[in-house]
Amino acid sequence: MKIIKNITIGLSLLLSSQLVFSAQPGTTLASVNPEADRMALQNYFKKRFPDAELADYVNGIYAVDADSREQWEELESFPPYEFDVEEGERLFKTAFANGKGYADCFENGGVGIRQNFPYWDKEASTVKTLEQEINECRESNGEKPLKWGKGAIAQISAYMAWTSRDNVFDIKIPEGDEGALAAYLEGKKFFYTKRGQLNLSCANCHLQGSNVRIRADLAGPALGHPSHFPVFRSKWGSLGTLHRRYKGCHKDSRSKPLDMQHETFRNLEYFQTYMSNGLVVNGPGSRK
Amino acid sequence: MKKLIAIIATVVLLPAAAIAETFDEAFEMNRAMYGKGYTFTWSGQQYSTDHQEEVEARVDATKANAESLIAKAKAHNAEVAKVGFEWKLTKGLLKDAEAAIESGDYRKALNLAAQAKYHARIGLQQHAYAEKNWHLSVPQ
Repeated sequence: MKIIKNITIGLSLLLSSQLVFSAQPGTTLASVNPEADRMALQNYFKKRFPDAELADYVNGIYAVDADSREQWEELESFPPYEFDVEEGERLFKTAFANGKGYADCFENGGVGIRQNFPYWDKEASTVKTLEQEINECRESNGEKPLKWGKGAIAQISAYMAWTSRDNVFDIKIPEGDEGALAAYLEGKKFFYTKRGQLNLSCANCHLQGSNVRIRADLAGPALGHPSHFPVFRSKWGSLGTLHRRYKGCHKDSRSKPLDMQHETFRNLEYFQTYMSNGLVVNGPGSRK
Repeated sequence: MKKLIAIIATVVLLPAAAIAETFDEAFEMNRAMYGKGYTFTWSGQQYSTDHQEEVEARVDATKANAESLIAKAKAHNAEVAKVGFEWKLTKGLLKDAEAAIESGDYRKALNLAAQAKYHARIGLQQHAYAEKNWHLSVPQ
């Protein structure tokens, strides 16, 4: 009887210790703390790459790999996105058939506002991205929406990012707004969830795998990811939006990819951009 | 003293028992090492390294059997798609399986449907695992 009692005590001790270990903060609406997440991510990269400056993470892999940086700096002497920015400005300033333009749809005439996107739209109860608002602007003025991934939408977005360069990201999760917090948490969960036939999460490549070779490529750190979008990617040979890249990454894990601007991708962008709060806009960028 | 020994024994031995090789681990290891059609022993019993879909595909190569397996694969894939864990190649496999039926190659159709069903089944397992463990790589 005594032995049974003692084993019961031992089991209780063991179970309680397991319970303590399994109680994970930051995984529920009640416990998630975006600011703590942001600091933890920064600290992770500070420990991982102690020589890299925090502000330099807006340059992706070029913040942590000297050889790649050298090549990139050469590339940036004649930025491949330059013509796209010019075309984006032309498109942005071209009036719609009704005489109005993009400037009429955005705060401050659409200039210097990239750092505020994406944001939580309380009324629509969803995350809104810059590209989404560009198309909403078109549609509300009787124009057809643009395709999401490349071409005119990326050029307009690039021009808007260009006018916002060096502005500090300031993504807000309104206090007490459970919907906004839930969208952030969904984005966080997507980022860390393994999926697809290759069983890969975003974090596998861009957290644990940053600056580690995947075939001939070095995966960039997650911190600062959205700061330089849209990007001119040498692999694409053109400018593309963040959601074009999301779709490609999702497909690379051998998942059936979501559509660009799908709510899940918008939540992911909300999470990722919040993680980059305090860093500056430096889009458009160029990448391999 | 006896009490202390019992407590220590429970705390020390139980986790050791808990980390013993599970069936899934034994299956995956033997499958990876020897491929399908191999027999391995786990917990004193013998098991095959065949996936359940490979067993399901090992039926007579008839149109009805192929259609039945395709239907099962589609149902599983609809389930995994609903939770957002559908794999990239699954729909293509199902399409190819249907094309194989059209061309009268029922064996090929059975094998492709089995692959598609396997994708969907493992996708569902992946989802269940992720729901419990996604947070493990979040920096704290």
